[in-house]
Amino acid sequence: MVEQATKMKRLINAIWIFNWFNSCGFCELIPLVGSRWDMERFGMIITGTPRHADVLFIAGYQTLKSIKRAQVIYEQMPDPKAVIALGACTMSGGMYWDSYNTIKRLADYIPVNIYIPGCPPRPEAVFEACMKIFHHVGAVPPHGRKFAKAHRG
Amino acid sequence: MAESLHKESKVIEDISAKFKIAGKVQRERRVWVTIDKDELIALCNFAKGLGFEHLSAISVTDWPEEGTFELTYHLWSYSERILLTIKTKLDRANPAVGSVVPIWKENAQIHERELHELFGVEFEGNEDLTPLFLEDWDGPPPFRKDFDWKEYVRQQYYDQANERERAYYD
Repeated sequence: MVEQATKMKRLINAIWIFNWFNSCGFCELIPLVGSRWDMERFGMIITGTPRHADVLFIAGYQTLKSIKRAQVIYEQMPDPKAVIALGACTMSGGMYWDSYNTIKRLADYIPVNIYIPGCPPRPEAVFEACMKIFHHVGAVPPHGRKFAKAHRG
Repeated sequence: MAESLHKESKVIEDISAKFKIAGKVQRERRVWVTIDKDELIALCNFAKGLGFEHLSAISVTDWPEEGTFELTYHLWSYSERILLTIKTKLDRANPAVGSVVPIWKENAQIHERELHELFGVEFEGNEDLTPLFLEDWDGPPPFRKDFDWKEYVRQQYYDQANERERAYYD
């Protein structure tokens, strides 16, 4: 556990983020990247590859096709890792609740640590989710999968 | 007005001289032609020879009451600046038509793949009709009007016994 806690401290200093956004999903993060909210001052950095990422942001609806790619991306990320799902679409399908080609609950396909509600979520809500990671990261077991399984029951 | 539609009328004259079909000048730079599906490929070849070298789109309209699919080919001529619309009807029970991939190559490929997966239209002669968007799809072609997508979604994704999902069944 001591070793795991040390590992998790790396997350506390900075979180490196990989974005996997469909449809209007990236609208939710654009204000954060810009100068007004400026996520980098809190140590949130966007990486170009999932192999360098601690946190996976998933936003927008996922289609039956794109969710498979998201699962591959999740597997490529090194442990410890966390998944944050943005927006109504990831929780319930959002406005695509009756679409034949979109998934309805992201947690059925990928272990999700935090859902952020909203369509789109406010930038402050995204910050709050990230602050929860910073604050509680010591309590999160390093394997996101086990964590999610335990919490899904 | 009549003189200004000269080049549009010329296209129809050229086509009707060879194919015995009447076309219609819809308005400036818009020409519509309807043809039997057996002659479609010949007409497309002929149209390309007339200068319609760009296939803008292929679309399908579903007419369940008539039992037909209506295929619409939109062709653009860069030299004449005319949009030629070719329409043809297919039997809905057996929607097979020749592929225009040999004529317009990759231009046509993406449209034919899409229409194959969304409407189930068979393009004979097209080698690669693998699905574009619907991987592992086992339902009927989803853009057909008789596809009850709400019912499909209920069966596929929701559970009526679940109290939180009962609203989807109201």
